Amino acid sequence: MIRYIFLCFAFILISSPATLRAEINTDGRILDIQQVTSDQGITAWLVEDHSLPIIAMRFSFTGAGAAGDPADKQGLSNMVATMLDQGAGDYDSQTFQLLLDDHNITLGFGAGRDDFGGSLKMLRHHQDLAFDLLRLALTKPRFDEEPLERMRNAALSRIRNSLSNPRWIAARIMNDTVFDGHPYALNAGGTLQTIGRIDDAAMRDVVEKRLGRDNLVISIVGAISADEVKDRLDALFGDLPAQAELTPAETIKLQNQGKTVLYEHDIPQTIIQIIQPGIARDDPDYYKAAIMNFILGGSGFGSRLTEEIREKRGLTYGISSGFFNLEHAKAFQISTSTQNDNVADMLTLIRAEIDMMRDTEPAKEEVADAKAYLIGSLPLRLASTDSIAGLIQNMQLDHLPPDYLDRRAAKLDAVTVQDVQYIARKMLAPDALTTILVGRPGNITPSVIIETLPHVE
Amino acid sequence: MVIYIIGMRRIAYIALSIFIVTVLAAAFNLAIQKRSDVTAAHTDELKKAATGKAPYDEKIFGAESFTLPNGMKAVVIPAHRAPVVTHMVWYKVGAADEPRGKSGIAHFVEHLMFKGTDAYPVGEFSRIVRQLGGNHNAMTGQDFTAYHQSVAKEHLETMMRLEADRMRGLIFPPDDVDSERLVVIEERRQVTENDPRGYFFEQMNAALFVNHPYQHPTIGWLHEVEALSRDDAIAFYNTHYAPNNAILVVAGDITAEELYPMAMAIYGDIPARAVPERNWTAVPPLLGTQRLVLHHDSIRQPLVRRAYRVPSARQDKDDSLALTVLASILGDGMNARFYRSLVIEQRLASSAGFGYGGTAWDDGRVVMSATPLEGISPEAVEAAMEEELRSLIRDGITDEELQSARTRLIDAAIFSRDSLTGPAMIFGYTLVTGGTIDDVEYWQRDIAGVTASQIHDVAARYLDPDNMKRRPYVTGYLLPANQSGAQDTPPPAPAPEEQAE
Repeated sequence: MIRYIFLCFAFILISSPATLRAEINTDGRILDIQQVTSDQGITAWLVEDHSLPIIAMRFSFTGAGAAGDPADKQGLSNMVATMLDQGAGDYDSQTFQLLLDDHNITLGFGAGRDDFGGSLKMLRHHQDLAFDLLRLALTKPRFDEEPLERMRNAALSRIRNSLSNPRWIAARIMNDTVFDGHPYALNAGGTLQTIGRIDDAAMRDVVEKRLGRDNLVISIVGAISADEVKDRLDALFGDLPAQAELTPAETIKLQNQGKTVLYEHDIPQTIIQIIQPGIARDDPDYYKAAIMNFILGGSGFGSRLTEEIREKRGLTYGISSGFFNLEHAKAFQISTSTQNDNVADMLTLIRAEIDMMRDTEPAKEEVADAKAYLIGSLPLRLASTDSIAGLIQNMQLDHLPPDYLDRRAAKLDAVTVQDVQYIARKMLAPDALTTILVGRPGNITPSVIIETLPHVE
Repeated sequence: MVIYIIGMRRIAYIALSIFIVTVLAAAFNLAIQKRSDVTAAHTDELKKAATGKAPYDEKIFGAESFTLPNGMKAVVIPAHRAPVVTHMVWYKVGAADEPRGKSGIAHFVEHLMFKGTDAYPVGEFSRIVRQLGGNHNAMTGQDFTAYHQSVAKEHLETMMRLEADRMRGLIFPPDDVDSERLVVIEERRQVTENDPRGYFFEQMNAALFVNHPYQHPTIGWLHEVEALSRDDAIAFYNTHYAPNNAILVVAGDITAEELYPMAMAIYGDIPARAVPERNWTAVPPLLGTQRLVLHHDSIRQPLVRRAYRVPSARQDKDDSLALTVLASILGDGMNARFYRSLVIEQRLASSAGFGYGGTAWDDGRVVMSATPLEGISPEAVEAAMEEELRSLIRDGITDEELQSARTRLIDAAIFSRDSLTGPAMIFGYTLVTGGTIDDVEYWQRDIAGVTASQIHDVAARYLDPDNMKRRPYVTGYLLPANQSGAQDTPPPAPAPEEQAE
């Protein structure tokens, strides 16, 4: 999800900015990113910054995420992520957690659909312990029965809790609908059945096969030098297998395009998720699409969807658009919610805004405003050591060059009003919109009614 | 951009995060931060800090302050690492200041603050901030309403002009008032009507604060929000929005010396006006055990929650500090007492937490919660929580627990400085709820001074489950529709003539 947010510049508007940690350097670069390669050939991006004694690190194993989980063990990677910090080496679960807590070390793992990864943040003077705990977690996880049982219970609680969250329900149905037949359609968080089947052996298999040096991407920010990073890299990751054994997923075209899918749920406000094919990050038209999205629904206040639907008519508390990019599927989404009786009107209005975006050139001011924000707000996104680490990690995962930030403004600036209409006509597909509704919407004729939530029980 | 509300859950979250950030802000030797060569000898610095005189007796942020002649207070938190600033204006007015029957008006006015003035018509505010590459937002809580923007330093003056303009010049266009009321109702549906947990938290809070303004949800009760008028909004705005009821907080690449002339020129000529004192009604003694049970169709995972009214930092600083350390011992992480006992040792719950929110004008809250495992009754979980409290009150805490909690809190201080908005939030929230700059700056020293006997004492005085005379609490069960029978279908609503007697 972090990666997804990064891809949608405009969504960043909602995040709270913090200190700009890297202003324009004397050599004119926005961020001084060093590429550090260890003796064993492990590479990391580093932004060295000693203004605070903090070190933040991100690491990802690409292609090692939940899309590789078997259908009868949905939730497997996610369970590995929750178990890696529950005991490793000589430390049992409680000892491991105590070492983290007592030294203010933040270590967390996560499984996305594509990648498996994590983050580590610490005070500089606790770095030996912090890095060693990470090394142990990755190479000598214990997967003891006691914490495993606890984490299974926590996962079951989480799934049951989700069942009273209509937004989660809408997302679940959306994934199942548009990725039908693909591993992306499965429930990365697991089902009430599959959680119980995840055992020690399955988790060890994930760690041993999917985490290799060849699919590892690392970013480090803070009070640490390039030489120190070099040594750390080998100590941390040198024991991992040189090559991961991955089963790559296939590219998938969004399924069930044009359909309206309803899940009846007894709530007064219907959750609306609209999704259609999107655009790849490395597509030459990407910047045109970024500006188009900002104008349509990416910017919150000031976007056409917000102005027409929230500000003028009061139909919703929030409406936004953005890109939803996975390794093997590129999508564009509009999310909102409204009182059940207003759903039909809302869908008509959204459709009209999509048509307008396609049929007419945007105003010059709209495009200029979009550029001004997308370019001008960059400093606010270089927030904490942590957020810079997230930013450069995502740049790596998106195969962007280290000088990307320096070149980004020019690319945005080159986009014209004609370009915006061009990409709107090319990308926006009013007849291919898949619409997910959760609630009791009035005046709607769904093409599909979901009776039982897929991949949950 | 999202204008958001701080409802009960939000308050709990913000209070917690503020608490955490504040705690993190504590006690890190500034010498370390100022060192140009940080690659060596941290340990020595730390030892010095631990063994030298008054090791934590240094300011964390080095904030400066001044007051304008019209009564507007200002705090400047210098951080010169980058040419950006966060600008905030905090008003000492929140949901708890609303007239009876007008719940939600404080939050509604917050939304209407974006509906334009003569100088900047509706939409202009956001457009200008956006064009300058800035981010902005606003929030409403029980005790405050706050507006903030983050921008490059050179645009600070523009932000100040925009904010000063709407402190006095709102025009409340009738059509916009009407459409915005619908937006707020949709917001309420999203956070409460659509989510049984929203109802649950709202109703627990109402039970905890009987006869006190905190009993009303910040977003307002639905039927009252529907009836809020333009006149209600104008009256509330005219009564409370004044420079002498506001605090200016600017964090980032700025000093008080630079800010003062700008603040004088921009905010200084807004006339002060009389603002009503806070005379809130108090909670009477509640001697009965209060238990709220909510069965709901869409609930699959039960939740057990207990909330106590306890002192806030303004009401009793020492008790508040002791409760802060206590909350860390009981609730911070998987080694804290609640998790260890209920989840690991007794295997009754899949999660268990304990938190204290002490940043409030009136009473603070302690909230403990747990999610029972399948087949475990909510009563069993509640009983286990009570046992934890009884053993705490009987035996107190160990020196080891105290030491590691204090070290944990103090050692983490440095992280709070790694942010621009974080420190501004801490100062704004603390000052608007009656705290002082020194409360923030010397947090480290204050936390280091908390003793085991203080903690034992606050536990006995405020959290004793067997002594209802001391402090009231509410226990809530959020349960699936069919559990323990009885309340599957609510009784039919009484006919109108019955209601009218």
